[in-house]
Order: sequence, then structure tokens, then C-alpha cells
Amino acid sequence: MRIGALLAAAALLAGCARGPSASAAGGTLVIATTGDADVLLPPVTSLETGINVSDLLFCRLAELKPGLNTVDDSGFRPVLARSWDHPDSLTIVFHLDPRARWQDGFPVTAADVAFTFRTYVDSAVNAPLAPFLAPIASVAARDSLTVAFRFRRWYPEQLYDATYHMRILPRHLLDTIPAARLATSAFARAPVGDGPYRFTSWRAGAEIAIAADTGWFLGRPGLDRLIWRVTPELPSAVSQLLAGEADAMEVIPSRGQLERVQQSRDVRLVPYPSPFYAGVVFNLRRAPFADRDVRRAIAMAVDRQTVVRSVFGPFADVAVGAVSPMQAVWSDSIRQLPFDTVAAARLLDGRGWRRAAGGLRARDGTPLRFTLLVPTSSQARQQAAVILQDELRRLGVDVRIQPVEFTVMERRTTTGDFDAAFVSRTTDPSPASLLQWWSPGAGANIGGYADPVFESLTAAALRARTRAEAAPRWRSALERLNDEAPAVFLFSPRNEAAVSTRVTGVTIRPDAWLATVAEWRVREPQRAASDRGAARP
Amino acid sequence: MLGFVARRLGFAVASVAAVVLITFVLVHAAPGAPMLGSPERTLASPETIARQRALFGLDRPLPEQLLRYAANLARGQLGESFVLHRPVADVLAEALPNTLLLGGVALVASLLLGLVVGATQAARHRSRTDTALGVATLVLYSVPVFWLGLVLLLVFGERLHWLPVSGMTSAGIHDSLSAAGRALDVARHLVLPAASLALVQAAAFARFQRSALVDTLGAAHIRSARAKGLPERAVILRHALRGALAPTITLAGLSVPYFLSGSVLVESIFGWPGLGRVAYDAIFARDYNVITAVALVAGVLVALGNLLADVAVAVADPRVRLSG
Repeated sequence: MRIGALLAAAALLAGCARGPSASAAGGTLVIATTGDADVLLPPVTSLETGINVSDLLFCRLAELKPGLNTVDDSGFRPVLARSWDHPDSLTIVFHLDPRARWQDGFPVTAADVAFTFRTYVDSAVNAPLAPFLAPIASVAARDSLTVAFRFRRWYPEQLYDATYHMRILPRHLLDTIPAARLATSAFARAPVGDGPYRFTSWRAGAEIAIAADTGWFLGRPGLDRLIWRVTPELPSAVSQLLAGEADAMEVIPSRGQLERVQQSRDVRLVPYPSPFYAGVVFNLRRAPFADRDVRRAIAMAVDRQTVVRSVFGPFADVAVGAVSPMQAVWSDSIRQLPFDTVAAARLLDGRGWRRAAGGLRARDGTPLRFTLLVPTSSQARQQAAVILQDELRRLGVDVRIQPVEFTVMERRTTTGDFDAAFVSRTTDPSPASLLQWWSPGAGANIGGYADPVFESLTAAALRARTRAEAAPRWRSALERLNDEAPAVFLFSPRNEAAVSTRVTGVTIRPDAWLATVAEWRVREPQRAASDRGAARP
Repeated sequence: MLGFVARRLGFAVASVAAVVLITFVLVHAAPGAPMLGSPERTLASPETIARQRALFGLDRPLPEQLLRYAANLARGQLGESFVLHRPVADVLAEALPNTLLLGGVALVASLLLGLVVGATQAARHRSRTDTALGVATLVLYSVPVFWLGLVLLLVFGERLHWLPVSGMTSAGIHDSLSAAGRALDVARHLVLPAASLALVQAAAFARFQRSALVDTLGAAHIRSARAKGLPERAVILRHALRGALAPTITLAGLSVPYFLSGSVLVESIFGWPGLGRVAYDAIFARDYNVITAVALVAGVLVALGNLLADVAVAVADPRVRLSG
């Protein structure tokens, strides 16, 4: 298949069309964030701010289009690679754009791509995304601008895995640094990239600044500078916005703070599909959750609509299953267990869990009781847990809420030391991310869920060649998961970015909120002192 | 004097060593583990996390980890942050001056304010002014510092726009200012966090100072000074205040832990990039090396604060001799 020429032409045209006029370009976007970056080196960056900054410093070979279609090539647009083709089912050959340059002037080459792959999969680097590159057998440069990815097996998301998990690194600056020392190298704190923005400064714990690379090969970015301001407390970060000291925040995660922003005339909320879902995961290795009927009864006894409205008001949706609204396979028509307390009670009666004194259920003298771990870091989950506790008490189930610190919860859930845990999951665009949490043997399958039917359904979905073919297969897998109820899927918060009204052209790609920031603008009449500061050489 | 300082330094070193030992054991014994993967994203596989644990020696028995830490500490090495991938010494070197600036300004401001208020109350003992200031200091002393910080932020930052709400400098313009402009910029950002810390402690200083001055004003040498016809202002400032300073200076030394613990909250509220913020983040991430190093630095600062207070008391009050 050869689609490169068409894609490249389309991207160039689109890039030109999007490029700002000289008069419109300029301005500084100050972003309020609650956490500092760890490092600015893509293979090892794991904190949110670090990812957001390094995403704008380093490019991928190709980018997902806004629809986040990960299954076929039409879902991608060229970036460092101006085209690619599939000479056989196990190979993708990328042809790099000869205009692409590192910010020190060196060209981006196929050797950089091969070096990047070796770096990501090097165990000494410990890249968190390395497991996603396991299907790739090798990456080899054929000439300075041609690089071939060889896969171990055929599957439809080859292009996604080849492009999405890696941002290309400059070999000429990094190959003399031992892999184990990359994260602590000077480069990791003052990188040289190939993206639309170049690194400017980083005051630890306070501020990171990047500036537009006005000569970027795909067109000058619209904003001169982006500055991240670190303010750990959410209310204070929101105050920065409301006081006009910051222009944007990725997401306002609390109902109270959302309501504060709603009252402002200078800041608006920009909703975008959420990559999260949250719910109560059962430990299937423990009684009574090994029993499917008990799990189903509990799931059916929870009025999820009430939980969501009570805790979030209009700022969240009932989760339709183990899928986030961001993912292309999400649909509100995915079949779920109904809210039916009568049927739930019947299921428990049928399994011998009868009501005893006090209204709680027991079987052979054992009360139907479990402890629910809830992270103290999430006020929403703590509130939802209390409502859930009340609803299950009416069914005769005794829920004991145990608030624990986040690290404690992570530790206990990953070691299986829990009955049930109120967890949140951040998905990536691929529906295959489902397998990280629900396939046997996956490290994050904390509940120990194993179901051959679900396995065969996901295997079939993974073989689908197109999005249209994949969607119903993933849907079947998700519905099977809902039927089996290894968890009560409760809510997906609506992501609401907050952006100053002086910023225009704001669109947000759900998996990377600043992916389109090159098209954002600051209205010229509303430019402030901080925008003028950008004009300095 | 030198013998006294040497003895106090010896106590200080022993105290700091104990603080480090206790902190090291407690943080490792605390439930939870270092967050070596992304929270709830589960992008880091168990194998990756296991490799990282091994890299930092976290898979070794606790006594062995402690011995290694002590050996490194003896060589002046504080280890590496699990989260920030940087030497802990570098992290502290960036944050500590900011905390010292904030804490120092807050300490001086609270002392001055406390002395003025306390002296005013003592000079107008049992007057309406004394009562009003007494109530005000009592209320301020009862206010949690984080609450006061949030109120100041909302009123003077978000509503009135008089002062910046967050950070240490103005985003985007600080570097383009002159040296004086940059200093003024930092000063403006310092006002609210320093006031949050200072107001509460000033109330404590004022109450101590008032009490000490009221006692001193009844002393024989003050009566003698008044009998000589000295103006009341001179009596208070030259004769009474100096003798009554000792308890306040002692309290100032003892208040170093307050400024350090308060900075954890205040720095988080105001986005001040100091040691408190570092500690706050490290505790939640179980970044053991950073937590232990912060405890070490805090221990040193507290010990130094006490030592300086002892010396200052001796200088201020000639009746005190540095023999014990």
C-alpha cells in the first residue's frame, strides 16, 4: 500500500492553511499546572507536565488525526515522516521529510529513528512505554532518510505502535551518554528537539518556558512562548487563572473549582472527551467476588446515575464500561447491566446470601461484607464510595470504606491485598489498552480477571483491519466484560480545560491537550506585558 | 563562649543524626512504596518497576539500605531522587535559598510586628488598646496558617488584584526587567506567603513580648529610671525592652520548626518553589532520599536556630552567662 504521497500533500496543504499570518502570530500562553516536570526526555518522562512539554519539543514520525483512529493508516498525518509504505505485512518503511532539522541545525535522519528505538527498548533506560514496542523486532536505517520497521507478527495497529509510543531523539547528542545515565543527563533537563517549540528555561518547582521555533519545517507556531507555572494546590492554580496570571489549565478536576471558573467572564471552559474511567474493581481471588452472580448483583444494585449526579453534577457521565469517552470505540449504546435492585436481591438469594438480623446478608454465618479501598487523593471517589455504601447496605451488603493514601492503594492493589478498590484508569487512544487491565497475566489486572470468552473476543477485535470492522468486535468484548462484572464501572469525568477568553482558535485533541497548540492565538488587542516580553531576542 | 558553642554544636550534630535515622526508618516503614510508575496509568510494567527498585537498591534489606545511606552521607552524598532523576543535593540547593528567603523575611517581619504590638500593649497596659490588640493577637494565633494563606490569596490576589497569587516571579516578564525591577518583582510575590507565615507567629511574639515587658516594667531598675525623670518612651525602649527581649528571642529560635512546617503548606498554596514544596511532593511520591535529606536540612536549621537564639539571648541580656 502506498499512501505517502497523498498524505504528505494533504498535510502540507493543511499545514500551510493552518499557518498563522505574520500579524496574528505571537503572544505568550501561561499554563497553570499542579505539578512540575520530572525530566524532558521522552523515553523516561512520566509526569504529566514533563510529557506536555516534551511533546512540543520532540516530534513523532506521524501523528494521530483528531478522530483518534488507531486501526488503519487513514487515521494518521505525516510529521517527521513525509510518507510511509507497507512492502509486506511485517514491514513499514518510513520516508523522512528532508526539511526536518534538530534545533542545533543537524538534519533528522533515519539513524536517529533507529537510535530512538534502541533507546526505548534498552532495559537500562527503563522506558515505561517499552512494553508497547515489544511487537517491533527491529528498526533499521536503509539510507539517511529511509527507515524500516520490522514487526514480529502482523496486526492492524502496527503503524500506531511504530509512531505513537516514540518521539524521535537526536542520536548525535545522546549516543555518547550511557543508557542508564540518560535520565540524569544534562540533556534531559535542557533538551534539543525537532518540534515546533524549543526549550528555553526551567526553574525547578516554579516554571518551564519554551519558545516557538520560527523556522520549524512544518510552519511557524502561532504562539511565541508557552510557560508552565507550577502551583501544587488546585484552588490556587485556579486562582491564577481567575486573577489573569495564567491563561490555561489542562483540566479542572473538581466540581467546586469548575463552578468558580464558570462564574468568570475572562476564562471559559473547553470540554473535550475524557481518557479516564473510574469504578470499583473486585478482587476475584477472594470470596465472595469469585462468584459471578454476587458481582453482578452488586453492579445491578448501584444507581450509577444518582452517584454521578450527586458527586459531579453535570461534570461527569456514567461509565459505559471499561472504555473512556476519548476512545473511538466508546458508545453510549454499549450494553450494560441494568439498575435493578429486585433482580440483584434475587441473585443473592439464589446464591444463598440471605438477609439476617440487621438487614445484612450472610451465608453459613459469614456476612456479605467487603472492604473498599479509596484513595484519599480523590475527594470525588470518597464521596461516591459513601453513596455506594449506602446503596449496597439496602441490598444487604456491608461495605467498609478504607481511605488510604494513593501509594498505599497502589501497593495493596498490585500485590492483591484488597477486597475491592475504587480505581481510575487512564486509557490511551487504542482500544487495545483494555488488555492492560483485563487480560490474564497483565500487570495491571489487579482483580485477577480471566475469561476465555473475553479473550477470544478481544483477539478477534485485534485482528480487524479497519475501524469499521474493529468497532463491533470491541463492543462485544466490552459488553462481555460488563456482563461478567469484574468491576462496577461508575463514571467518566468530563474533561474541561479552562482557557482565557483572550486565547482563540482553541481545539483540543483528547489524548494530548496541547497537540494543536500551534494553531492557538492570543488576540492582539488583549496582549499583555508577558506577551510583549516575548518580542525580546 | 567558644566552649558553650562547641557543646551546643555537639548536641546539634547528635540531634540531627537521630532525626535522620528516625526519618529513614519511618519513611521505609510507612505503608506504600515509591511511585516509580505513572499514577493510575499503569504504563510502567511490573518488570520496569522492579528494575527501578533494584537500581535504587530498594530491593535490599532495610539495614543494608541504611548502612549504604549512612556511608554515602558520610561522603557528603545525599543520593538521587527517584522521581526527578537528579541528585538530591541539586534539588535542595535550588529550593533551600527560596525557603530561607521566605522563612527569613517572615521571621523578621513577625519579630518586628510582634515587638511593636507587644510593646504597645505593655506601654498601654489594661487600656482599651491593650484589650483590642490582645483579642486580635489571640484570634490571629488561633488561625490555621493555610486558611489565612487562602484568605489572603483570595482577597488581595484574586479579588483586588493588588498582589500576585502564585509563584516567585511574574511569568514572561521577569527576565526582561532591570535588576531593581526583578528584586521588586520577587518582593511583590513574597508579600502574601510571607504575611501568611508572619501574621500568625507575630501574634505569638506579641503575646510573649507584652507579658515579659509588663513584668519588667514593674522591676526596681525601671522604677529607678522613672524616678530619674526619664521619658516613658526612653524607659521602655532603653531599659525595659532589652531585658524583656530574652523570652521573645528564645521563642524566635524555637519558631524555626514553625516556619519550616508552615512553609510546606504556604509554599504549596502560593506555588513558592521552596523546600516545603519539595518535601510535600516527595512525601506523596515516597521519594525516600529526598524526604530524608529534607529532614536532615530541617534538623540542621532547627539546631542552628536554637543555637543562634541562645547566643542572641546572651548578647541581649547581660544577666545571662554562657556557662551551661
